[in-house]
Amino acid sequence: MTTRKIYWICQVLGWGLYSAAGAVGVSQEIGWRPAVVAGYLLFGVYSIALTELFRREIRRRQWLTASGSRMMLSLGLGALMVGSIQTFLVIAVSLALDRRSTLLLQPANALWLWLGIIGVTSVWTILYVSLTTTRRSREKEVHAQLAVREAELRALEAQVNPHFLFNCLNSIRGLVLEDPALAQDMITRFANILRYNLHRDLNHTVPLASEVGVVTDYLALESIRLEERLKVRMAVEPGAAEVAVPPMLLQSLVENAVKHGIAPLPGGGELLVSARLEGDVLILEVGNPGLLGNPRPGATGLGLANARERLRILYGTRASLTLENRNGSVAATVMVPRVV
Amino acid sequence: VTALIVDDERLARLELRRLLAAHPEVEIVGEARHAKEALDLIPKLAPDLVFLDIQMPGMTGFDLLERLEEVPQIIFTTAYDAYAIRAFEVSALDYLLKPIDPKRLAAALSKVRPPTQPGRLEQVFLRDGDRCWVVRLPDIFLLESEGNYTRVWFDNERPLIRRSLNALEDQLDDAMFFRAGRKEIINLKWIDKVNIGVNGGLVVTLRGGRTVEMSRRQSARLREVLSL
Repeated sequence: MTTRKIYWICQVLGWGLYSAAGAVGVSQEIGWRPAVVAGYLLFGVYSIALTELFRREIRRRQWLTASGSRMMLSLGLGALMVGSIQTFLVIAVSLALDRRSTLLLQPANALWLWLGIIGVTSVWTILYVSLTTTRRSREKEVHAQLAVREAELRALEAQVNPHFLFNCLNSIRGLVLEDPALAQDMITRFANILRYNLHRDLNHTVPLASEVGVVTDYLALESIRLEERLKVRMAVEPGAAEVAVPPMLLQSLVENAVKHGIAPLPGGGELLVSARLEGDVLILEVGNPGLLGNPRPGATGLGLANARERLRILYGTRASLTLENRNGSVAATVMVPRVV
Repeated sequence: VTALIVDDERLARLELRRLLAAHPEVEIVGEARHAKEALDLIPKLAPDLVFLDIQMPGMTGFDLLERLEEVPQIIFTTAYDAYAIRAFEVSALDYLLKPIDPKRLAAALSKVRPPTQPGRLEQVFLRDGDRCWVVRLPDIFLLESEGNYTRVWFDNERPLIRRSLNALEDQLDDAMFFRAGRKEIINLKWIDKVNIGVNGGLVVTLRGGRTVEMSRRQSARLREVLSL
């Protein structure tokens, strides 16, 4: 059932029952009169209409999303106004239907009638607001969950690079006859990368050594493809290897550097990977020839954005990732604290 | 048929060479390691067929084709490139996914047409936004000048390409194409009707309904050409 339908059922049932109860109550007190029944029937009808107008106004002016005090004030005044109009209509209709209703014109009676109706309208307002806001917050929660899922999926897509995967398989196929031993080695490395990708948990850290291991496998496979075009210089300080880092962090930087820095150059270039400790800070650097500032078509910058986001979640402001031009090459630098 | 392999990976070229060994009718006349090299080799070797990788350093396979004056028959090869594959699919071009399935290679080769005499422009590569086509010249019925660009009419398509009508005219076969006016080149094989227009010149109606009005001078030339 749609929320719209539920709303209308509640409206008709609520005001209908309230009017019926009122009509029965008054009839028991003063005897059965058609004017009383007609009066209450009309009361039900214009109450539904007035509160519907009130609801539209609440939506149009977006009172439910306003700040707390403004929302209370607006809703309170609105309910007061609706109640006052109802009271006025009750008196007018009663006088028109039955001249004996002049009793209602006495200030005390009118005041009680007014207060009673204001009470009912306030209850209506409270019910409406509470039902609507719980529904909205539930929707918001669902939205938030969806956003998290989407981010996870995007991260996954960014990491399993199908272009690399299939090119690799093709190279290995070519290698099988030429150099069977190397082909076997490459299949093992390929398996290592797949396993690392499948078993990693993005929310936990791994020692830098295992990240360096997968990067080594990855670069070995890329050199099969790129051959003499890819030269690698890797320097990892012994102390740095044990530091805990987010999985796939170094890997995504290296992959980026190969994809944007080496592969587009017909002559290739040298890739530099280094890890060192400065006090309690681990510094990872990945450098490749080229210049920043002219992204290739198809480059989304998603890989880096993802890496930054993960660093922020894990370390807050204590970690950083920068990308800069440095003596004719592009350098990506990550700093993470040694202890989480 | 003679074939050229264009791929930036040595092992990929080697692998394709091995797969082609099963097809003795294909003679591999050369290899190019990137698009620039192919740009030199294709006019020099004039292969009947080119196996073309899309993602290569410096220039993509598509860019290469746009720069070629004469486009041989093409079989695209790619490992994975969502953009290129979409282009192939909307354009019904032949492509092979790496690693290449020998059966798919055989199927693609069976569609290759036998070579014709060299030096004649047979087909052109056209690209317009996301879409691309390799169009055989007999299928083009009208070329229409739009400034420095030319609109090419064939099938139900009419992409705009980045070459002037005058530049194209020099490459086209006189026996097939005729300069009908300042802005149009028509395919003679596509002429449906010829009428006399109000100014005394001819009005040609092409199959499909498109009409082209000609000057008196061009009308006289067309009479000559058609009577031959």
